[in-house]
Parts: sequence; C-alpha cells; structure tokens
Amino acid sequence: MLVAERDVRLFFQYKFLIIIRAIWFVSQIVLFGLIASRMINVQEVPDYFRYYVSGLSIMTLYSAAIFIGFDIYEEAEHGVFEYLLSLPVSRRQLVLGRSIGGGLRAFIYVGPLIAASLYVIGAVNPLNFLAALFSLFLFSFGVSGMSITIAVMIKSIDRFDILMGVLDALIVRLSTAMYPLNVVQTANPIYGGIANFNPVSYAADLFRWGTGLPDIITLDNPLLPLVGIIAFFAIFTFIGITIYDRRIEGGGWQ
Amino acid sequence: MPPIIQITNLTKKFGNIMAVDHLNLEVEDGEILGLLGPNGAGKTTTILMLVTVIRPTEGTATVGGYDIRKNPDKVRELIGVVFQEPKMLWVSTTWDIVNWHAKVCGLPNEERKRRVRQVLEDLDMWEHRRKNVHALSGGMRKRVELAKVLVQRPKIAIIDEPTAQVDVVGKHRIWNMICRLRDEGSTIILATNELYEADILSDRVAIMHKGKLLVCDTPKTLKDSIIGGDIVEIQLENDASTAIIGDLKNFKEVVNVLQIKPTLLRLYLNKVEEVVPKIMNMLLKKNVPVTSIHMSEPSLDDVFAHYTGLTIEEAQKVGV
Repeated sequence: MLVAERDVRLFFQYKFLIIIRAIWFVSQIVLFGLIASRMINVQEVPDYFRYYVSGLSIMTLYSAAIFIGFDIYEEAEHGVFEYLLSLPVSRRQLVLGRSIGGGLRAFIYVGPLIAASLYVIGAVNPLNFLAALFSLFLFSFGVSGMSITIAVMIKSIDRFDILMGVLDALIVRLSTAMYPLNVVQTANPIYGGIANFNPVSYAADLFRWGTGLPDIITLDNPLLPLVGIIAFFAIFTFIGITIYDRRIEGGGWQ
Repeated sequence: MPPIIQITNLTKKFGNIMAVDHLNLEVEDGEILGLLGPNGAGKTTTILMLVTVIRPTEGTATVGGYDIRKNPDKVRELIGVVFQEPKMLWVSTTWDIVNWHAKVCGLPNEERKRRVRQVLEDLDMWEHRRKNVHALSGGMRKRVELAKVLVQRPKIAIIDEPTAQVDVVGKHRIWNMICRLRDEGSTIILATNELYEADILSDRVAIMHKGKLLVCDTPKTLKDSIIGGDIVEIQLENDASTAIIGDLKNFKEVVNVLQIKPTLLRLYLNKVEEVVPKIMNMLLKKNVPVTSIHMSEPSLDDVFAHYTGLTIEEAQKVGV
C-alpha cells in the first residue's frame, strides 16, 4: 500500500495538470454536452445530455488511470526506477502497488467529477450506485495495469504516447461511453461487436445502471459487465506483473 | 566468520561492452570497503547487480548468505543504496522522499519521525524539508539521497560517490556520518573516484579498472606494495660523501638514492615510518648533521598508476 500511497501523493503534486483536466471536464459538460445534446433526438436516448455526462465520467476516469504509464517514463528518465527496484519490496508488490496507486489516484481525482455528474444526472439508487462504484474501482485499476504493461513493453515515450492515442480512439470511441450499443451496431456490426466486449462499455453501463439511467444501458443484466470488468482487472494486473517482472528485472528498461 | 558479501565471477555485458569482467571479491562484516576506480571502471554496474536492480550476465554474489539471483527479495531487505545520481522526482519534497523511504523500510512511526528529523538536522537539511527537490542545489540533493540510507541504517549500505558536488564542509560532515553508520553496525561499500575519500574512510580498498578488479587490500598495504614508493628528501648541512650514500643504499628498504644537490639526497624506499628512524640514527652515529627532512608516501593514485600505467585522472580523460 505504501507504493500505492506514493503514486497517489505524486499525482496530486501535478496541480497544473489536475486543474486543466478539471476545466476540460466542466467545459465538455457545459459547452459540448449542452449544445450537442440539442442535436440528438433518437428513440434509444431520450436524454442525450445525461447520457453524455455519465459517459464523460468514464472517459475521464480512463484517461486519468492511463497517466501512470507516463510516470514510468518520467521515473526512468530521472533514474527513480532504479531506486524503486532497489527497495525491500518484491516486484509483484511493486507492480500491484503501482497498479492500485494508479487506479486509486484516478478514482480520487474523478470523484468530484462523478459527484458533479450525479448532480447533473439526478436520481440515485444508493445500493446500485455503491456496486457501480466498486466496479469503477476495478476498471480504474485494470486501466492502470494496462498502462503499466504497455509502458514497460515500449521503451519510447513518443511511441507510447501515440499508441495510447490510438488505443483511446479505438477503446473509447468503440464503446458505449458516448453512444448506445444499438446505434453503434446499426452503424457497423463490427463496431457493435467490439463495443459489446469493451471494458469502457462495461464501466459506462454499470455507472448508468448505478446512477439510475437503466433505460439507456446496453445490457439487461448488470452482472455481465461486472464480470467483464473483474476479468479486465485480473488479466491486466496479472499480465502487468508478469511483463514487469520479465522486462524490468535484469535492467530491461535501460 | 564468513564474508557478508561474496562475489564470484560476477560479469555484466551490455552488447559487446564488458562492463564488469569476472569480478571476485569478498566484503567482511562491519568493514568499509572502498571501491575505487575512474568513471566507467564498472563500480556502478557492480553495485546495481549487488542490489538486484540488474541481473548479471554470468557469475553471482551472495549478500548476507542470500544469492542475488535466487533470493533477490531477501538481498534487498539487507541493503540500502545511495545512488551516484540522486534518484527522486522533481515534484517531491525532501521530507516526502526521506520519510517515504523510511516507511518502505519498515521503520515504526515514532522511530521513523525521530530518525528522519535527526538525520535531516545532522545533514543541515531540516530547514529545507518542505522544499521541492527542484529547488535544491546538486549538493543538497546528494545529501537527501544519503539521508535515505542514514535513516534506514541497513545491514549493508552501498554508497556511490557520496560527496560528488558537495562542498568541503559538507564532505567532512558526510564522512563522519558514514563512519558513524559503520560504527552502528552497517557494512559499507563506498564506490568513489576520490582518492582521499577512499584513503581516509576505507578499511580496505578494491581498485577496479575496465570492469576488472586489479587489487584489494588495506590502503597501507597497497601503498607499501609499490617498490620504492615512499620518498624521503634529506637536506644535509655539508656535502654528502660517497660513503654515506653507500651506507644509505645498504638499508634493505632503500631502493635508490639520488643526489639532487651536493647537500640534498632523495631516497626511494619502502616502509618509510620504520626505516627513517634507523637512517637518522645512522647519520647521527656517523656525525652527519641534518638540516631538514621531508617525507612523502605514495597515494592510492600511485597505486592505481602502478597497476594501470595511468593516473585516475588520466584514465577518466581517456574514458577507460
């Protein structure tokens, strides 16, 4: 937990980044969300504004959890990596701690934004919401683990940056964060297939389910996206540990 | 008592470059071992292998009885490292860095706070504890790096160039703290390219060059191993006779005698502290008045030059 604590503390030292991202989030709601929702009037989404705001929370959580990968490069550049590897902590504890830290800090950061979303969205079923919150925790850790895994596999920060941009375009845009599954499937069945097996879709659906927007969720049974998110978290945490162990142990990052 | 660190054929290759070449070395419990050599000698690579940050290409080492290949987690529990370049993110504060390190090393709450404060005060860094490290000078960052190990008090402390970029007053303070750390029970490996530092702090000095260990012994033994390495200049009141020069050459420790001036003799010899009283007695008995005497013993640089043909400064310049 100390490794996780360190990552959380470090993240909140980047005050400029945090403020800018918060401004971006609010602008997306009060500018893009309000204006774009006036253009969209389809049967599947009776209120696109609420749909968009809930999806935006998940997208922001995703991008904040990705940030841990950039920290890995920053640490390699300043030699902090060597220091972390010399500590009396096992490699598994280290990567698990970092995965949790990366996810936790993203969650803490997005917390106020989620609160703002709830205010905008309105009705809340507390029990559902707690369950959704828990799954968002796991989603956040999973994304963080994915970011760590990719960061230690790719030695160049430029390549990492580009790849994360492409991944963001594929994973987030081909999800139900911004549009319902029916609409995606109608546009292209392949897109719909991807969106159907996408952790961002699972997170967005659970969040909407938890916040009381069941009329626009993709899946009838919330258990399915919950299982999907648990699998996503478990796979990337396990892969993260394995890759980290193999690539890092022995100076592979150099 | 078995050595606390046993290095056996330790080798590290980076591509075609042999950074460490079949290193064999033992470190005794409770000693300060100076690892001396120019930049690129393989000191830092050796350290990184010992702390299990990088894996050896060949060979291994045991640290406190644990093999660095087989039990890296156990090895890291015994070791604390002061890196050559301070390892810290620029946004962190002095307090955060040292306090977090102490937490990871498992120090209990009260003891941790006490030790962190004590060490930062001793290093004259207490008033800078809330500053981000980007606001600190290079020497101050080096002190923060050292503070981590001083707080940790590990069984084995590996300290890589602790006084680089540190001013003279700071150097003496750091040297005292390193000695205190040893007195408190830590075994210390001190990697340095500063001859004086290695000489005054080390119980034994291991000299590395081009990834290889050239020699390892006490500073005194290393210096004494240079034949005729000590120099004594004797200023006589009158011209030196051939007989006196012959008598001086008869001492078995004296390697050569040069007559610099009619009244000035330069002797190249070994074990200066033992032989000079004998020489003085001889001159006194033979009624040869002496005006002054000047002694100089070889430095570790002379030892390095003896084995490599280069001074450490020259070796650093040519990058070997």
